[in-house]
Amino acid sequence: MSLYLKLISGSLRSRMQYKMNFLVSSISYGLIMAVDFVLLAAILQRFNDVKGWNLYEVGLLYGISSVAITLYRVFGVEIHNFERYMVEGDFDSLLIRPVSPLSLLLTKNLDLSRIGGTIQGILILAISIFGLNLKNFELFLLVLYLPISIISGVAICFSLGLLTATIAFWTQRIKDFQTFTLYAPFNAANYPMNIYPSWLKLIFFTVIPVGFMNYTPILFLLDKGGSLWNLALPPAVATIFLFLALRFWQFGIRHYHSTGS
Amino acid sequence: MVYWILLQKSFMRNMQYKVAHLINNAASAIFGFVFIAIWVGVLQGKENESPYSALDMTYYISAVQCILWVSGFLTAGLNIQNGVRNGAISLELVRPTNFFLYVTSQEAGRLLYNFFFRSVPIGLVFALTVGFYLPQHPATYIYICISIFLAVIISVNLHYLVGISACWTTEIAWAHFVNFTLLVGLGGQLVPIDLLPSPLSALTPYLPFAGAIYYPVMVFLEKASNEVIFIQLFWAVGLTLINMWLTEKARHKLEIQGG
Repeated sequence: MSLYLKLISGSLRSRMQYKMNFLVSSISYGLIMAVDFVLLAAILQRFNDVKGWNLYEVGLLYGISSVAITLYRVFGVEIHNFERYMVEGDFDSLLIRPVSPLSLLLTKNLDLSRIGGTIQGILILAISIFGLNLKNFELFLLVLYLPISIISGVAICFSLGLLTATIAFWTQRIKDFQTFTLYAPFNAANYPMNIYPSWLKLIFFTVIPVGFMNYTPILFLLDKGGSLWNLALPPAVATIFLFLALRFWQFGIRHYHSTGS
Repeated sequence: MVYWILLQKSFMRNMQYKVAHLINNAASAIFGFVFIAIWVGVLQGKENESPYSALDMTYYISAVQCILWVSGFLTAGLNIQNGVRNGAISLELVRPTNFFLYVTSQEAGRLLYNFFFRSVPIGLVFALTVGFYLPQHPATYIYICISIFLAVIISVNLHYLVGISACWTTEIAWAHFVNFTLLVGLGGQLVPIDLLPSPLSALTPYLPFAGAIYYPVMVFLEKASNEVIFIQLFWAVGLTLINMWLTEKARHKLEIQGG
């Protein structure tokens, strides 16, 4: 852990050498995500709700999903850009270090420009919680549960990122897979799952389980259905999925063949 | 002609990545399904309050997802910024070719490829699942060709504008972000611009972003009068002139620095 902090602080210091660039890029990234939400607000202001979910309720889902994926983008930047190691053949140098390749990748770099998206997600969450006007107990439960939901979301996102990165051991390039395994599902998870056709729902609750991170618990917390189990499922699914992703990653490393050049 | 050859080469280069692009197309279709689901969910039981029915919006989003590949998802800054960063721009600007056409013809080749290997397959996916509108009047096919052509010119010029700004700013990541956000936000990617809140809905029809996405889609769906093509024409010509002028400025700046 102390090694991790040391490596991370090093990366932070190097980033802060370019303060202006950092500020502008994080603000613009946050802005883009905000525009998406503003457009949604424009629709819902006119038509009130989407299948029984009003703007603030959707805002909760939206906030959790954006905070989760942006935190992954901050901490998992090297996993996200893993194809570089395959294409340029840099992976060999990670294998000969005394620390596991995954720990090296996680500590190598932080993409702080994505923090803007996290802040914007937290703002949307705050506005939504405020707008929902919940009773004391419900509010207490929601605020207490939000971190669990977000951590589960980050774990699911990280697992999906790692699974996609592992594919690179065979295919080298993964950018086009990421649209399929990360961007599209997390975009879908911004909105309530009940609007989707059943085949899409099936995907989002099985192979790409993004539905569990926000829709499942929020359904119960907003008294829209479900039972206490809805609160236990997100961390449980996230843990199992993370375990599977790590196993697949190990499997990938064992099948890695260097370019030999 | 050299620009035609550049266009062809760029087309062929993209052909190398057909399989990866097909996977990406599936994701693009899923984005479309998500947006369609939002609209169907929003309009359920409220169709009489809206100028668009759920079916209209299904056709709208399907058409948008297709056109995005020719006038939405362009190369950031058309890669002009790379030349500025590594200095290659000084050579590129003094070549006996027109720099503006040299850059844009390469992008045109990529967009032509996108049309055949991205827009058409994605359109087919929608046609086989949720349905895809085809214009009923034969004349619309002529208008839509003109409208898409102008949309491409507008979008290529917007991206060129971002790219050539690198001659003054070097870093264009944020400019591209802003440009792209405005393009999809005010271009009507998720919300048809006439449904935007009041100050925006009055302004956006006259901005170039609508000309890149919203107008060609509405012409295709036969929901806009064909006169919108004149708004597109205005921006296509205007932006091209601005970019040619800026290119001259950039060349001038370069001569001073390089002297």
